[in-house]
Order: sequence, then C-alpha cells, then structure tokens
Amino acid sequence: MALPTVTWISMAIAIVALPGVASVALVKSLRSEERKLSLLKKQDKVDSYSPRALAELRDWVEAHPNDPYAPVARERYNECVETLREVEEPYYDWSPEEIDQLDRLD
Amino acid sequence: MTDTEARTAREEWGSRFGFLMAMLGAMVGAGNIWRMPFTTGENGGGAFLVAYILLLFLIAVPGLMAETMIGRYTSNGVIGAFKQVFQTKRAQGLGLVVLVVNVALMSYYSPIIGWALYYAGNSVLFTFTQPGFQPQAFWDGFIANPGLVVGMHTLTMAGIAGVLVFGIRRGIERVVKWMIPLLVVALVAVAVRGVTLPGGMEGVAFVFTPKWEFLTRGSTWVAALSQALFSTGLGWGIALTYGSYLGRYDDVPLGGGLFTAIGNTSIGLLAVFATFPVVFAFGLEPSAGSNLLFISLAKVFPELPGGGLWALVFFVSFFFATFTSGLGITEVGVTTVSEETQFDRTKSVLAVCGVIWLFGLPSAYSTSFLGQMDFIFGSFGLPLATLSIIALVAWKFGPERARIIDLNRNAGIYIGSWWNPVVKYVIPAVMLFIIGYGVVISIGTENQTLMLLGVAVMAALTVVSTVVMSVVGNAPEKISDTGVSVSGGD
Repeated sequence: MALPTVTWISMAIAIVALPGVASVALVKSLRSEERKLSLLKKQDKVDSYSPRALAELRDWVEAHPNDPYAPVARERYNECVETLREVEEPYYDWSPEEIDQLDRLD
Repeated sequence: MTDTEARTAREEWGSRFGFLMAMLGAMVGAGNIWRMPFTTGENGGGAFLVAYILLLFLIAVPGLMAETMIGRYTSNGVIGAFKQVFQTKRAQGLGLVVLVVNVALMSYYSPIIGWALYYAGNSVLFTFTQPGFQPQAFWDGFIANPGLVVGMHTLTMAGIAGVLVFGIRRGIERVVKWMIPLLVVALVAVAVRGVTLPGGMEGVAFVFTPKWEFLTRGSTWVAALSQALFSTGLGWGIALTYGSYLGRYDDVPLGGGLFTAIGNTSIGLLAVFATFPVVFAFGLEPSAGSNLLFISLAKVFPELPGGGLWALVFFVSFFFATFTSGLGITEVGVTTVSEETQFDRTKSVLAVCGVIWLFGLPSAYSTSFLGQMDFIFGSFGLPLATLSIIALVAWKFGPERARIIDLNRNAGIYIGSWWNPVVKYVIPAVMLFIIGYGVVISIGTENQTLMLLGVAVMAALTVVSTVVMSVVGNAPEKISDTGVSVSGGD
C-alpha cells in the first residue's frame, strides 16, 4: 500500500520530534558526563553554573538577601566563583575576562 | 561503621546511563505498549500526535524537571522532601498521600506484571506455536486460575524485592542497564517485521494519517493530556525518588526532564510501529486494549515465519517494560520507609513488597476488582499525587527559587523563566481540569458510584494522612542557619 505524502510527513515529524530529540538528549547527556568526569579527574572540581545561570543566581541573592534559601544560594554562588578561579579548564563556556570580573557574595 | 554513619551515607547512581535507563524504565510501562497505539489511531492519528507532542513539551517535560529537581535538592524520599521544604509535620501528610497512592497503584500493577511474566515465560517455552494452541482459551484458563495469577503476582513481587534489596546501583541500575536497551532493540525488530508484512503499512497509515478535524474536538486534547501526563509518570514520586540519588555534579533538566519524557514517548511510538502493522495485516480489532496483547497478538505471532521467536521477543520486552516500572513505583515506598523508620534497606524492601503483595491479592484474584482500583487510583489518586508534588515545588519552594538555585546547577541545558508559570499555573490547572473532567463524564454513567467513591477515598486519604503525620511525623530540620520558615512560593 502506497502511503499518502501527508502520512509520510506526519510520520517523519513524529520520528524527529520523539526518537530524534530523545537520541540527541541521550548523546548530549552522556557526553556531558564524560567531559565532567574527565575534568574532575584532572582538576578535582567543576564549575556548577553557566555564565547566564550564575548571573541570575547573583541577581536573585542580591534581590532577596533575607530569603531563607539565600544562605544556600550564596554558598553555591561563592563555591562556583572559587572553583572558576582555581580550575584551568571550566566546564561551561566561561572566558578568562568573565572569570576575572566575578566577586564573592558576602 | 556505626548505624548512624551507615544511614547518613546516601547511595548515588553509578553512571549517567544507569540513571537515564532507570528513569526511562520506570516511566515506560503497559500503557505505552497497549494504550498509546490505540489512543493515537482513535483520536485522529497524526493530528493527535501533534496535540500530544505539543503538550508533552509544554507540560510533561517541565513537570518532570521540577519533580527530579526537588528530589536532588532535598536528597530525600517523598515524605522527607515535604518535611524539608514545608518545615511542618502536618504537610508531611501530602508525602504520605503520594506514598499510599504508589502502594495502591503497585498493588494492582503487580498482577499485570504477573500476566506479562506468564506470557513471557510461555513465549520462552514456545507454547504459542504448539499445535492446537487457542489464545482465547489460554487467556481464559490463566485468568480463571487463582493459583496461577496469585502465583505470578507473588513471583513478580519476589523478583522486584530481589532486585531492590541490592539497592540503587547494584540493584535497579544493574537490571535496567540491559533491560531497557533490549526492550528498544526488541521493539525495533518487531516493528521492522510488522511494517514489512503484506498489509502492514495500512496500520501505519491508520496511525499517522492526520485527520485535522480531530484537533477541534475537546476529546482529542483530553486524550492527549491524559496520555502526556499519565504515560510519563509525572508526579508519582518516582522522578523525585530517583532524583534524590543523583550526585552533586549531575544534570536534571536534560536527563530527568527532556530525555525521560521524550524517550518514554519514543518507546510508545515504537510500540505503535510494533503493534499496528501486525494488527492491520491480520485484520484484528485495534481497540482491544490488553486483549490485543494477550489474545490477538498471541494468536498472530505464531502465524508469522519464525513466529515463536517473534512472540518471545515481543512478550519478553513487554515484561521488561512492566517490570522496570514496578521497580520504580516500589522504590518510592522503599526509599521513604527506610528514611522515616528505623528499618534498614532489606527490612524496608521486605515490608513494602510484603504490603503490596498482600493488598495486591484481590486485584490478582479478580480482574473486575483490578479495574475498579485502576479507575479510583488512576483517575483520582495519581492526579492528587501529582498535585501534591507540584504544589511542593511550585507553591512552596517556588519556581523561581527552584530554577535559579538548583535546576540550572550543573545543567546540560539552560532553563529560562518561561518555566515558572508553566510549573506554577499550567500544570496544576491541567491536573484540576483532568480530575474535574473525570468527575463530570462519570455522572449518570455506570461509573458514577465508583467516581463518588474515588473522590471520597482521596478526600479521606488527604485528611487522614495529614492527621497521621501531625502525630507521628518526625520534626523537620531547619532550612538554614537563620531557622526561618519558608514564607511561600515566589
């Protein structure tokens, strides 16, 4: 039985949107773990936030200094800053200039 | 090592692959194999898939991110997570609700795994290709034999206990790392065989040809919503529990959210390819549900060249799908009991599996009772559990806090602020709609009494759980050095 074109298109979209996306997510996730393990082996630490996520974390702590979760957030922020200063190769896409501009939160 | 030290050293997944396969295995179950193909075909084929994929990305993916994240953040099971975030004994009752719903769900799911086990066992023995094999008589004989169905239920729970007793890494992870890839390979093989059968492509056409008018029907969207929420296991406590065993450098949104939801549905899509071409090639009734698997397919596989082998591949993979879900559902109870009582893991496994086995006896004995349990807990218990967990993240912890402090930490993909309103408003609204819809469509039907019973049971469960945890719950530890209680979601 010859399938109509619209059926082929519909099937192709389903395959791309489901197994296609799942396969990409799986490969990306496994590669990310591999890279983190290799960095941990080499330098014992890995930065935890991307530049965008860390900037948001800083803004949030500054906007909510008395929030009950602020100490946890501050600790995580400072830990990431310290790690970025100590490691040779960051996991996320940090430039040396961006790292130099980072300050601890007190 | 002292007892205290042993109990504070929390286990972690051994590998990223192990965690992802465990999540996928827990969420892929019987519904993916026998429900998704029919639901797709019945609701407009490609049009349904459009609605379903949209809702999957809009609701299930963000929801699973939220649930896995709160598990990793709190490093606790369901009751412990509520205790840590809400900081009250009473709120731990919502954790108990999730736990009870899981035990109830597993009590009637275990007999279904038992059916899959029985068919997988018989496929290994090549029973289906024996001369004179009668699939309807075989099914009737099995289901009417209390010793056999209870025996399979018992074997299932013994098998699950036998895996869970070894823990996360040496138990669950060791099993799912080969069961899930084998399940995928098996379904691909059966799918290839199916579409190459004479007439098999008609099944593909039935499922994938879009009937766009279905997109204007409310029933299509409700079906897509139900499938997107229930087949992904969102809010059942499994993602929370499995997420609690993630390590500090692990990602949540890419693996726990995107891969789990989309991977789970991908297996549903594979099931479409594996079953519908066969259904159409042999002129079977596509809406037969569980009968499609246990009667119709048992009949047609042996008619294929090398059919005994195809039946083996299919039924063993179906057993893998159900068994790995059983592991996830039961682990919710095991983790919680081992954290909230003095029981070690072995005793917790025995206690939880023993209770599930006991409560599962009526469902094993009577398929009618099983159906009623499914109606009550599937229609009202699971949405209540999902609402409880989403309330924990979205209305107490707060989506902005969750996203900024934890979700984007070590993340494989960045999650923007679009996530906040989805988790805080869209998912709860959808769950309330589904509960309300379930109530409304039952009015005036033969299910009305059961619906009223379901609503009453869930209301009573919420009240009783809250009262019980107010009395027996453990005092929560302070969130921070300030000792300030959290004032509410942002």
